[in-house]
Amino acid sequence: MIRKNPYIYYGRKLLAFVLSVFILSVAVFYIARLAPGDPLVSYYGDRVERMSIEERQWAEEKLGLNDPIYVQYIRWIQNAVKGDFGISFKYKMDVLEVIESRLGNTLILGGIGFILIFAGALGLGILCAWKEDGWLDKSICKVGTITSCIPEFWLSLMLILVFAVNLHLLPSSGAYSVGHKNDIADRAVHLILPMTVAVIDHLWYYAFMIRNKLLEEVRADYVLLAKSKGLDKKRIMYRHCLRNIMPSYLSLMAISVPHILGGTYIIETVFSYPGIGTLSYESARYQDYNLMMVLCILTGAVVILFNMIAQIINERIDPRMREQEIVETTEVTEIG
Amino acid sequence: MSELLEVKNLSVSFDTHEGELQAVRDVSFSLHAGEVLAIVGESGSGKSVLCKSIMKLLNKDARIKSGSIAINGVDITNYSERQMQRIRGKVFSMVFQDPMTSQNPTIPIGKQIAEAIRVHDPKMSAEQVHQRVIELMELVGIDRAEQRCKLCPYHFSGGMRQRSVMAIALASNPRMLFADEPTTALDVTIQAQILDLLRDVQKKLGTATILVSHDLGVVARVADRVAVMYAGKIVEIGTAEEIFYDPRHPYTWGLMRSLPAYAQQGEKLYTIPGMPPVLIDPPAGDAFACRNEYALGIDYEQMPPMFQITDTHYAATWLMDERAPKITPPIGGMYHV
Repeated sequence: MIRKNPYIYYGRKLLAFVLSVFILSVAVFYIARLAPGDPLVSYYGDRVERMSIEERQWAEEKLGLNDPIYVQYIRWIQNAVKGDFGISFKYKMDVLEVIESRLGNTLILGGIGFILIFAGALGLGILCAWKEDGWLDKSICKVGTITSCIPEFWLSLMLILVFAVNLHLLPSSGAYSVGHKNDIADRAVHLILPMTVAVIDHLWYYAFMIRNKLLEEVRADYVLLAKSKGLDKKRIMYRHCLRNIMPSYLSLMAISVPHILGGTYIIETVFSYPGIGTLSYESARYQDYNLMMVLCILTGAVVILFNMIAQIINERIDPRMREQEIVETTEVTEIG
Repeated sequence: MSELLEVKNLSVSFDTHEGELQAVRDVSFSLHAGEVLAIVGESGSGKSVLCKSIMKLLNKDARIKSGSIAINGVDITNYSERQMQRIRGKVFSMVFQDPMTSQNPTIPIGKQIAEAIRVHDPKMSAEQVHQRVIELMELVGIDRAEQRCKLCPYHFSGGMRQRSVMAIALASNPRMLFADEPTTALDVTIQAQILDLLRDVQKKLGTATILVSHDLGVVARVADRVAVMYAGKIVEIGTAEEIFYDPRHPYTWGLMRSLPAYAQQGEKLYTIPGMPPVLIDPPAGDAFACRNEYALGIDYEQMPPMFQITDTHYAATWLMDERAPKITPPIGGMYHV
C-alpha cells in the first residue's frame, strides 16, 4: 500500500470544503431571493409603504435588486472574492462590521457552553458507569432522558417566567445591561439562563454516550486481565477504559459543534441575546440579503469544517492507519 | 502441611431470567505447590467458571453459593474486593483464552507488563521495572524485547500475544497460574509452542498451574494431575497416568474414545451421544446417566459419591460401588500418550 501524501490528502479536503461552501452560497442566494418578502423594508423601514412606484424602482435599482438573480450572484461573488460583502440593509453598515460586533457574544455563550457540556458529560458519564445500575445511575438516566427531551425554546420561556418574571432574580434578555458592556459580573448574570438551557438540553445526550461506551469497555476481555493482575477499579476505569474511549469522544466533540451551534441560535433568539443567532434570525426575517449570505456561509463553513475535522480524527484513530507508520519504523530499525 | 490451594464443596450459581444456573456444583480439589493440574471437560462444564470464581473475577450475577476456598490454609472465600486486589497477580493470576482480545489494544505491551509489576511493587524504580519487563519478555520467549516492548498488541501475532499475556500474568511471581484454555484460539503449531512454554516456565519458576482445556492431547503433554469435569462437577480426578491408563468414569472413557488417536482406520470416530444437560434445574442423580451406555438404575436417582481408587485417584460413578455389575471398560491400559 502506498502511504497517502499529506499534501494531496489535505488538498482534496480543502477542495471539497471550497466546493461545498460555493454550492451553499449559490443555494442560499437563490432561495433567499425566491422567498416571499420585501427587501426594501429592511432598508427603508415603514417608509416603503408610502413610496411611489417610481421611488421603489429607483430604490431597487440602487440596491441592485432589479437584475436577474444570476447577474446579482455574479456581482456578489466578484465583490466577495475581493473581501467586500456589501452593506447590511438594516444596519446600513458593512456586513462584516455588524457580524464582528456580535460574534464575541456568541463565542462566549457557545464556547463556555461547549466546555461545560463536554466536561459535565464526561463527569456524569463516568459517574453513571461507575455506579452502573445503582440507584444513582438509574435516577440520573431517567432525569437525563426527560431533560434532553424538553425543547429549548420551551425550557427558555419557563426559566424566564420563573427566574425573571416571578422571582426577579435574573435578567430575561440581552448579554449585558445598558452601559455595562465590559462588566464581567454583569455579563455572567446575563449568561446564567441561556447557558443553563444550552447545558441542560445537550448534556445528557453526550453523558449517556460516555456511559454506554464505558460500560462496553468495562465488559471487554482486557479488563479481566487487568483485574487478574491486581489492578483496582479506579485504575482500570481511568487508565484503560477511559483512555480507550477518548479518541471517539474527541471526534464526537467535533461532530457536535454544529449541533450545539444550532441550539445556541434558538436560545439566542428566545433570550434576545445579541449574538450571531439573533442576527441570522433577523436577517432572514427582514430579507437583509447581504448579511444573511455571510451568516449562512459562516455557519455552513463551521459545520463543514468540523465535520471534516471529525472525519480526519476518525481516520487518524483507525488502527490500520497507524499500522502503516509503525511497520515502516520497525523496518527501518531492522535494516539499521 | 496445608495445600497451596484447597477448594472444598464449592458451588457457584448464576442468577438468570430462567432461574438459577448451577455452573459449578459441589466441587472439591486441591492443588499442590509446583504441580500442573489440568481440568478437562466439554464446553459449558464449568471449567472456566471454576477458575474465575476462585479468583473472584465473575460478574455480579454470579455468586459463590457454598463451599470454601483456602490458600495455604487461609480461607479467602469471604475476601472483599480490596483484599482480592492485593492477592490477584501476586498469589494467583490468569492467562485467558483469546489473546486477541485479552490485552488493552491501545497500550504498548511493555507498559501493560510494567503496570502488572508496579501494582504489587510501587516503590520499584523506572529502571528496575524496565529491566524486569525485558526479563519477563525474554522469559516467555519474545526476542528483541527492547524494541518490541514499545509495540501495541495488534502488531503481534496470536502466539506472541499469548506469550505477552503470560508475561503479564507472571509479572509479580504468582504462586499459581490459571491458564484458561490458553491454546484454544491459536493454530496447532503455535499451540504446541505455548504449551511447551507453559511447561518450561512452570519448571523454571515452580509456579503451580491449573490448565483448563477441552483437549486431552494438550493435557497429556503437560499435566501432572487431571480432573475431569462434567455438568459442573468433578467426576474423576487422578494423576495423569491414572486418568490416561486407568480411567474409571464412563464419561472419561467417552472422552478418550472420542480421540482421533484411538480411532481405528476406516471406522467412524466415536462420539458421546446426546448433549450435556442445561444446568438450570439439573437432573437428579448422575447428570451423565442419560448419555451413559453403562448407566445403572440408581444413576437416575442418586448422585454418586466420590469413590477412592488409589491415594490420588477418585471417580464419581456408581460403577465403582462393590454391588455394581462388573463391566469391562472399553478403554484403558492400551492408550498410549
